[in-house]
Amino acid sequence: MIQVENLTKRYGQHVAVDNISFTVNPGEILGFLGPNGAGKTTTMNILTGYISATEGRALVNGVDILEEPEEVKKMIGYLPEFPPLYGEMTVMEYLDFVSDIKQVSGQEKKQSMEKIMDLVKIGDVRGRLIKNLSKGYKQRVGLAQAMIGNPKVLILDEPTVGLDPKQIIEIRNLISSLGKDHTIILSSHILPEVSAVCERVIIINKGRIVASDTPENLSKGLDDGTRLIVRVAGPEKQVVKVINEIHGVKFAESQGSKEKDTVDVVVESDPDIDIRKPLFFALSRASYPILMMKSLGLTLEDIFLQVTTQEKEVR
Amino acid sequence: MVAVIKKELRSYFTSMTGYIFVASFLFFTGLFFTLNNMLGASPDFNSVLASILFIFLLAVPILTMRLMAEETKQKTDQLLLTSPLTLTSIVLGKYLAAVIVFFGTLAFTFIYPLIMSTMGELAWSEIIGGYIGFFLFGSALIAVGLFISTVTENQVVAAVATFTTLLILWLIDAIIQGLPTDKTAGIIFALLLAAGIAAITYFATRNIYVAAGIFGVGVIAIIVGYIVNPEIYTGFIARVLEWFSLYSRYEDFQLGILSLSPIVYYITFSSAFIFLSIRMLEKKRWS
Repeated sequence: MIQVENLTKRYGQHVAVDNISFTVNPGEILGFLGPNGAGKTTTMNILTGYISATEGRALVNGVDILEEPEEVKKMIGYLPEFPPLYGEMTVMEYLDFVSDIKQVSGQEKKQSMEKIMDLVKIGDVRGRLIKNLSKGYKQRVGLAQAMIGNPKVLILDEPTVGLDPKQIIEIRNLISSLGKDHTIILSSHILPEVSAVCERVIIINKGRIVASDTPENLSKGLDDGTRLIVRVAGPEKQVVKVINEIHGVKFAESQGSKEKDTVDVVVESDPDIDIRKPLFFALSRASYPILMMKSLGLTLEDIFLQVTTQEKEVR
Repeated sequence: MVAVIKKELRSYFTSMTGYIFVASFLFFTGLFFTLNNMLGASPDFNSVLASILFIFLLAVPILTMRLMAEETKQKTDQLLLTSPLTLTSIVLGKYLAAVIVFFGTLAFTFIYPLIMSTMGELAWSEIIGGYIGFFLFGSALIAVGLFISTVTENQVVAAVATFTTLLILWLIDAIIQGLPTDKTAGIIFALLLAAGIAAITYFATRNIYVAAGIFGVGVIAIIVGYIVNPEIYTGFIARVLEWFSLYSRYEDFQLGILSLSPIVYYITFSSAFIFLSIRMLEKKRWS
């Protein structure tokens, strides 16, 4: 659906986006993740035709954004970082104007406006001036604007900024449900958001793609084994010795004692062996009861920090 | 384009700018009508139109300062530029909205000749001619204001720059009088002109070879021109600056003469600045 090839954007000497390529399949929800200033917004601005790339090209549904910008823009709904709202208009007037410039007309216009206002829950403020709305409502009016004209592709730049936790969940659910018949790219620097909504994540840092995979695979890929932390009641040395003797354990390392007469041990095993059961039986045979067992799979947060701070090693 | 026109018209009259424009314009026309025609007992309405030309200096910046500058500032240009609208229809829509407000206000003033016609015979053809000229003149200045509004994102800067530009255009005939007319000055001016065009090309394309090439061609053209006919450099500065003399071209209209060349001139002038506005937006996208 979206194809990006060797996209580069330079501002004078500064390279904002450095030779990035990726594709997005129809119906996919793709997350752009990266620290502030990584080039997320620039990439989105290029995809939507707001600015032009210095090099490379972007195709939406096989159409080049530079060659037939009007065609491509019809297929895209864009929610920029700052929702482009006219404060002097009421919500209805604004959506009416957006429908006009997106060439939605007549009967269809009214219906789609009602439907969208219902979806993003802004029906109760339809008659109010946009400048008097709260940040959360403004953000949702911006989202409504992107959905007008039922574009196949939605590009959302930090869609949940400024919303309260309940609204964030609502918008996330809305995005997930839109993902069924839309292709969506959303950017965020909030990690749980990306792992909650997106099927695939691209991590960008300093204008370059440093990782691209599903949230699960990203967790797995960087982790060369499965790690557990267990808290066992018993003497440190013996416990570590017992654990080390179990088949499949690569190494066990004591983390010291955090509770009286217990020891915390980090156990790393081969990724394809589930050692939790053998661990339980071995320790119970030795009568060292397990008080706690927790998986230490890398969170997206760990990966994010790892790839953005140790970029060279990952590449 | 119709959507953009509608939106701009609405925003003129949901904010103060539209009302300020209409009020100040009508106030000054009314004032001069009362002074010239009523108290002065003169049937000549074209002289009223000619005396209120100065109001463009204030009224045009009011009308044009926010056209693009506000969109850039509020980042609403992202909505327009990522919608399926073409740049041409965005810019033209904004231009036409300003021109419609101007036209509507001007239509109000038609009441004055009507009042006068109840008291005697009027030279209607002259008055219509005067109105056409006045309208085209104002539209050309609006195009200048629109262009300046695309350059900056600050409305105040846009307003001040537009005012200054219109003032220079207003004074250009007086400035021409004081400039040297000899050949040397003409050649130096021609060289500066070529250098200026080359510099603009360089800043637009960042290509030093193209810019140098343009300057080179310009120098050669100047030399060839000198060899063929050195007389073309006599009064050269004045002739170039006269291209921008909008006010001197209004004289025919003031006399009630409807001649083609000033009409074509004003329309060309407007088109050139609309075109420049479109190019300016296009360029912002690339830089």
